[in-house]
Amino acid sequence: MSGAAVEPALRIRGLSFTYPRAAESTLESVSLSVQPGEVLAIVGPNGAGKTTLLRIVQGLLDGYRGEVRVLGLSPGEARRRGLVGSVAQRSGAMLAYPVSGHDVVMMGATVGLPGWRSPAVGVRERVTDALERVDALRYADAPIGTLSGGQLQRILVARALVIEPKLLILDEPTVGIDAAGQERFADLLARLKEHGNLTILLVMHDLRAVASGAASCDRIACLRRSLHFHDTPSGITAQVLADVFEHDLSPIFRGLHIEASGEQPRPPRTDQGSHDAGHDHADGGSCAHH
Amino acid sequence: MRGTITRTGDRVRTIEYLTSHGSIYAPVLVAGIAIALTSGLLAPFVVLKRLSFIGHGVSHTAFGGAGLVAALGLIGAMGQGGLLAYGLIALCCIAAAGMIGVLTARSGAEGRLSDDTFIGIVLVGAMAVGAILMKMSSGSGPMLDLETLLFGSIVAIGSAEAIAAWVCSIVIALVLLIERRRIVFWTFDEPGARAFGVNTDRARLVLLLLLAFQIVVAMRLAGVLLATALLVAPGAAALRTSDQLARVVNRSALFGVIGVVGGLVLSFETDWPPGASIVVVLLLIFGVSVIFGKPRKIEGGVAS
Repeated sequence: MSGAAVEPALRIRGLSFTYPRAAESTLESVSLSVQPGEVLAIVGPNGAGKTTLLRIVQGLLDGYRGEVRVLGLSPGEARRRGLVGSVAQRSGAMLAYPVSGHDVVMMGATVGLPGWRSPAVGVRERVTDALERVDALRYADAPIGTLSGGQLQRILVARALVIEPKLLILDEPTVGIDAAGQERFADLLARLKEHGNLTILLVMHDLRAVASGAASCDRIACLRRSLHFHDTPSGITAQVLADVFEHDLSPIFRGLHIEASGEQPRPPRTDQGSHDAGHDHADGGSCAHH
Repeated sequence: MRGTITRTGDRVRTIEYLTSHGSIYAPVLVAGIAIALTSGLLAPFVVLKRLSFIGHGVSHTAFGGAGLVAALGLIGAMGQGGLLAYGLIALCCIAAAGMIGVLTARSGAEGRLSDDTFIGIVLVGAMAVGAILMKMSSGSGPMLDLETLLFGSIVAIGSAEAIAAWVCSIVIALVLLIERRRIVFWTFDEPGARAFGVNTDRARLVLLLLLAFQIVVAMRLAGVLLATALLVAPGAAALRTSDQLARVVNRSALFGVIGVVGGLVLSFETDWPPGASIVVVLLLIFGVSVIFGKPRKIEGGVAS
């Protein structure tokens, strides 16, 4: 496995997938690669194939065409070896469950342990370490029903980290989290990156969330059946976003662009030809239409 | 329904009579405690995963099984010690649970049935077939004691049943112990469990089979219609008393025992059917837990 240093954490080549009896493919010729330690955000509207792509990468969906290698292995093998950690979307039903954050992380740490055995001391230490890594030790013993959305999310990230994966997958991590929580999520990403060689794959449909977290993403891939863009955040153009989301997103795009490139806000008129730019322009002048 | 039992008066004498050696009630009490313990262990998961409707669906199948028993001319075997006929009914219920588990598997083929559709059509269909079979065979031979099937009967429980109940309960508890981590992970977070490599369809099938097994064991005492209550009420009450799963499960088992023993005493005192009496006591426990227990906190929380 010493050759793994040059092996991308995730490499996808010409991936196509069609659900049985579906008229058209959900994914078409998707190619991308993620280097170790990189953070890639996959963005796209609902139904763009993001979840399908994730399930394939996690080894939960077979029958695709093309090549998918996770740390040089097949997706299923990588998951079985504990190299892939993932955080699915949170559900409200979890909050009624009588467990603490600590218990939740323990579920991840003891998943293969027979029911009649209790976890070893080393396992308990790993649970504490994982909670520490996401800065969640303060509320780890509170019932999860009392936690905020952002706190519960950190607990679930800790549960994914407890198996010490090389690739961490976060599915819609900012859904249902308020603006302040989204900022703290950007902090969490930065914190995870500090730790070194953890590769992170984020999947989001909300571009606003990407805009607020963009500073922490090394690259963004825009997905709608096929990849429409795959580069650093600063390279995204209004045209790419319009192609992917099929409606005008230039106001959000501006926010993304400014955040990503670290520039000062510019007058909105510099954006070429969009309806919103025209509307903003009208603010300073007359609203008369002829 | 239980004309063979004579009343003995005051409560002290009731308990004496219930526990005395050779009493018709001794095996009932012994079987009842076994049933209560395992029902209590399973109940929190039924409540948390909202599975009580599956219990109802499975218990409806008992009717189909009873129809089959009638058609096969085994009604005579339904009475006291009628383990053959009863075993056939139990088999129908467990097969029904297995079918729910396999045909409605989450990660199965595209065109899978949803749970409620399956129960609403297939299992209720079994009940209809059962009713028709019973009617068709009613002219020939003895009648099926429907009231016993629906509401349970104390006279149906002898020493053999008490031993069978304990054997079944030990099996259920052992399987639950072996499978507990998968069942907890799955009931807490199904997609998360799958991502961690837990075979959630298997966890679901195991829990459904345990529920069916538990229902057929409890059915003898509490009846088809009320067996499901034992799988819901203790768990619902216990969930209001603690935020720790281990405590919830322990208390649920305790509430189940209080419900069953209290219900049997009530049944003996009042001559009410045992199943109904047990449900009344369980409802009282649940009522107390609603008034004095903590409401489950679903929203809000402290900012980080």
